Amino acid sequence: MIANKQISLGIAILLALSVAHAKPPAVSQWSVQVDKIEPGDVNIEPAFIVAIYENLLVELTKKGEFKQVFRSGDKNATGPLLVLKTTVQKYSPGSETKRAVTTVAGATKLNVKSQLCTADGQVVLERIVNGNVRFLGGNLRATHNLAHNVAAEIQKSNLPEPKAP
Amino acid sequence: MMIRKPICLLLLISLCTLLVAQDAAPGAAVQVTHILGFGDIANNANGDLSIQAGTLRFQKKDGGQSAQINLDSIQRVSTGQQDRQVGGKAAMLGRAATPYGGGRVIALFSHKKYDTVTLEYLDANGGVHGAIFQMNKGQGQVLRDQLPGKVNDLETRNDSK
Repeated sequence: MIANKQISLGIAILLALSVAHAKPPAVSQWSVQVDKIEPGDVNIEPAFIVAIYENLLVELTKKGEFKQVFRSGDKNATGPLLVLKTTVQKYSPGSETKRAVTTVAGATKLNVKSQLCTADGQVVLERIVNGNVRFLGGNLRATHNLAHNVAAEIQKSNLPEPKAP
Repeated sequence: MMIRKPICLLLLISLCTLLVAQDAAPGAAVQVTHILGFGDIANNANGDLSIQAGTLRFQKKDGGQSAQINLDSIQRVSTGQQDRQVGGKAAMLGRAATPYGGGRVIALFSHKKYDTVTLEYLDANGGVHGAIFQMNKGQGQVLRDQLPGKVNDLETRNDSK
């Protein structure tokens, strides 16, 4: 009985130590400014454009990869700054009712080109990212999934260190 | 007896016209669902959207949270349509639990068309914000006509039905 208690106490101490020594997520020295979404040649509803933009801001803030996340046009956007440019390449509107009735048809699909650029226009990261909703949820959920995937791609990548001023 | 029927019909039509006119009255609050992006209001919150003294104000249904922006800060307004399943998550679970594919049949009839109004506006720092509101069919156009800002010509239907 006493041995059991000692073992569980030992495990608890080990767990506490591992949590204490766990490294916090590395925050880049960069800040990011999310540019307005470019619809490109795609006939996409303005609600989707706005939803992608707002969801990108939320997801990038949530991931904590950047020091600060700024909106397009924000006058306070200073310091080592990367600009996230997003261009829509493909869009299929889909239908929530079709999805609910058939399960296999009616998917809403989005495909965008995401670029992280420095202030002098140099592209440091470029990815083609998809965001779909196939089963559950409204059509706008595709924009949330897309923003989540863009933020995940940025988190996975190794961004260069900002140049010293 | 023969004359009464057309009179009743006329009365009914005029009553309906009056009700529609009340909906379109400028300054009147429109019941909307805030999809995202308007101030600190939670996503999918229900409430009233009204135009008062040069501001666009959203007031949550329970009277709690509210947010407002200056009409001058609105850059662009656009409308669209969405076809959505009604009943939310509870209805979705109910449909999924219905045996023999009955949920699919229910889904076929349990959808409703909504109008969406999308705004782009600037905050005090010049940062671009976007907000989306969903409302009953027919109210989107009324609200758009009351709002300033460049009306977006690109209007597509968010439903391929």
